[in-house]
Amino acid sequence: MLCAVLLLGAGGCSGSRSGNSKQVIVTGSTTILPIAEQAREGFESANSGTSVLVSGLGSSAGIEAVAAGTSDIGTSSRDLKEEEEGLGLIDTPIAFDGIAVIVNPDNPVKQLTLDQLRDIFAGKITNWSEVGGADLKIDLVNRDEASGTREAFKKIVMGDDAHFDKYAVVLPGTGQVRDVVARTPSAVGYISVGFVEPRFTATAVKALVIDGVTPSEETVADKTYPIARTLHFFTKGEPSGLTKEFVDYVLSDEVQNGVVVDAGFVPVKEGSE
Amino acid sequence: MVDKRITNNIAVGILWLAAGITVAMLGAIILYVFVNGVRALSPAFIFTWPHGVNAEGGIWPTIISTLYVTGLSMLICTPVAVLAAVYLAEYAHQGRIVSLIRFAADSLASVPSIVMGLFGFALFVETMHLGLSMLSASMALSLLMLPIVMRATEEAIRAVPRYIRWGSYGLGATKWQTVSKVVLPAATPRIITGIVLATGRAVGETAVVFYTMGQAINLPISPLQSGRPMTVHLYLLAVEGINLPAAYGTALLLMIMILGFNLSSRWILKHYRKV
Amino acid sequence: MTPPDGVKPSTGELQMVSRQTQIKEGLLATLFFLCAFVAVLAVALIFAFVGFKASPIVREYGISKFLLGTEWVSSDEKFGILPLMQGSFIVTLGALVLGTPLAVGTAVFLSEIATPMIRKIVRPAVELLAGIPSVVYGFFGVIVLRPIVGQITGGVGFGPASAAIILAIMIVPTIAALSEDALGSIPMGIREASFAMGATQWQTIYKVVVPAAKIGIVDAIILGMGRAVGETMAVLMLVGGAPVFFHGMGGPMATLTSQIVMDMGYSTGTHRTALFGMAALLFLISMGLVLAVRLMSRLRD
Repeated sequence: MLCAVLLLGAGGCSGSRSGNSKQVIVTGSTTILPIAEQAREGFESANSGTSVLVSGLGSSAGIEAVAAGTSDIGTSSRDLKEEEEGLGLIDTPIAFDGIAVIVNPDNPVKQLTLDQLRDIFAGKITNWSEVGGADLKIDLVNRDEASGTREAFKKIVMGDDAHFDKYAVVLPGTGQVRDVVARTPSAVGYISVGFVEPRFTATAVKALVIDGVTPSEETVADKTYPIARTLHFFTKGEPSGLTKEFVDYVLSDEVQNGVVVDAGFVPVKEGSE
Repeated sequence: MVDKRITNNIAVGILWLAAGITVAMLGAIILYVFVNGVRALSPAFIFTWPHGVNAEGGIWPTIISTLYVTGLSMLICTPVAVLAAVYLAEYAHQGRIVSLIRFAADSLASVPSIVMGLFGFALFVETMHLGLSMLSASMALSLLMLPIVMRATEEAIRAVPRYIRWGSYGLGATKWQTVSKVVLPAATPRIITGIVLATGRAVGETAVVFYTMGQAINLPISPLQSGRPMTVHLYLLAVEGINLPAAYGTALLLMIMILGFNLSSRWILKHYRKV
Repeated sequence: MTPPDGVKPSTGELQMVSRQTQIKEGLLATLFFLCAFVAVLAVALIFAFVGFKASPIVREYGISKFLLGTEWVSSDEKFGILPLMQGSFIVTLGALVLGTPLAVGTAVFLSEIATPMIRKIVRPAVELLAGIPSVVYGFFGVIVLRPIVGQITGGVGFGPASAAIILAIMIVPTIAALSEDALGSIPMGIREASFAMGATQWQTIYKVVVPAAKIGIVDAIILGMGRAVGETMAVLMLVGGAPVFFHGMGGPMATLTSQIVMDMGYSTGTHRTALFGMAALLFLISMGLVLAVRLMSRLRD
């Protein structure tokens, strides 16, 4: 009986994806998830009868999905890897993001150089006193490997030679990193600049000055802040139809100056690719 | 030698303590979720969509997704499980094949949910091309519910007294007539109890639906659509940790639903137990 | 598929029913048998599918490198799961050490000491504890337990200590409910005989009742262990996510289950087959535990 149900299901589903042109499937970066989800709301209410399905599975999953054709848009907070460049994906930058290095507000350390930061996350500097702080063991808080934030941090801060200390705590979400750092005097982590200020909680974290530059929307936009990256929408070929409408909507002033700024990211000028 | 009454009193005291700690832990978890969650709970929280960067607003689509997938898995699981139990209780004779079936059911009951999730992903989502959907999730969940309903039904059928069957056979009824008209009706309240309990378990399942249903916030209509159940919503909120009030609210609502399933199964048992 | 012996309608030989009815009865019996066989089919399918997806890790990567490898670094294509197995082992062991005395104590209390009134309240409460979703336990653990454990062990509070504590809370109801069933099945007469000889309540419990229910209680502990090994969400949220060998109860680790969830979203190729290999291993462990329980109950009979 179960088998009959299974077969029925298999037969019934084959045509379901193709017939539905009023739908845009957006998969990928958890960093871009807030932008995509809020843009979805505005887009759906402006275009009745359309639906945008947004999933946050990580940048790699998004690129894989759009290349395989199971998604219309793959969102990514990293650039394409070498092996992904031949997939025929078109890149539309939709925002900039700076990664802030955060510590507990009680931590007297105010700034680090990129080199110090690298040594801290590689596990070479293990006490805050080595970088001008109190005599306190450093507790690293890292992100999971699916995270685009980790990938960007690794690329920009760690470079090719240094490796993350593998004994560090690995947390799967920005909010958890922020919460743990806010409550642990010895902790250090990294999150998008937009999440440094508290939203729903009273807990506070302190963003460090890196190489003499304070992370802010201005320093991220003018690229003086060293740990910054571009957020992408990838499409298989030039976007068309409803997909193009959605991409254009995300690039419109309404979203760029609304959602993107609200989410703590820095807008791109339209057509800046 | 220590007086045996003193030893006795100390030991009994420790046992009281053990039970006390167990109940206190339950109380602490329920109270904590209740106190923090009740502030978030409102008709608007239940009946509106989440919106904004941090899932402000309500959780309506996740409630519907959870009810949808649980209902569908109940529909898939119940006929198979009940008839399987009828076979084990009424038709089967002890033997190799029956002990194989029982071993399989026990194994199925103990499959870690992450294994079921990966299996569901490999078979239903990828190989059968059902995609991340209500149907994929329901089929994986129904396999998890199957042994629970099977066992409850078998016990229910075995609890029906023998003489009722003899009465039926004596009137010339066939085996199936006896089972369908006499045994199953008498066993129904306990069977329903089993189904409700299994459903309660499905409502709280996370790892299985994580890989078979997807995470897209969607109000599912066709079984081939994706959705985000309450448990996955709670996990994502807890991990993102940004909108904690909504996480508490979701957790409370989830516990109320499961409590509801548990209490209603008790109620059914109490009010309809005739045999 | 032919029905085995015994599914023939038992009224068959009497010839009191029509041929048509006999056929119908036979078909129904076959249908019921097929439904029951779904359980066997499902287990076989899980085994086949997870095993099939996992086969490349055995064939291409090598089973000994996989099972005995000491490093899990997915970016370097190193998929040794020894640290993960150690993580699962430590967290499970910790949960059993903390949870078993509590659970068995609760079961003995319910079965031997509690008045019917107290029992009527505590038993459903324990069963309710079993119904709370693991993600809620995980959430509670992250928000409430983690900071407290962090204070005690130092560090940030993610690690085997937090995971084992929350897991202990989760397996208490499973072990308690099953142990109580085992204790409840001991005939009243045994207790009465013990009391009649002047034994105290405690002497009766630890010299008579608990030994008599021993196998049932061990069964319960094994099943609780199965739940602990396979538990995913709560452990994932607390264990710390670092696939390294044990370095203190407060030092982050990873388990088989937590690493599967951490990596599933982005894994491809060999990496993904390694995850299925871990799932297959978990499946074998859980089946082994079920088998152990069956063998024990055969021992008892």
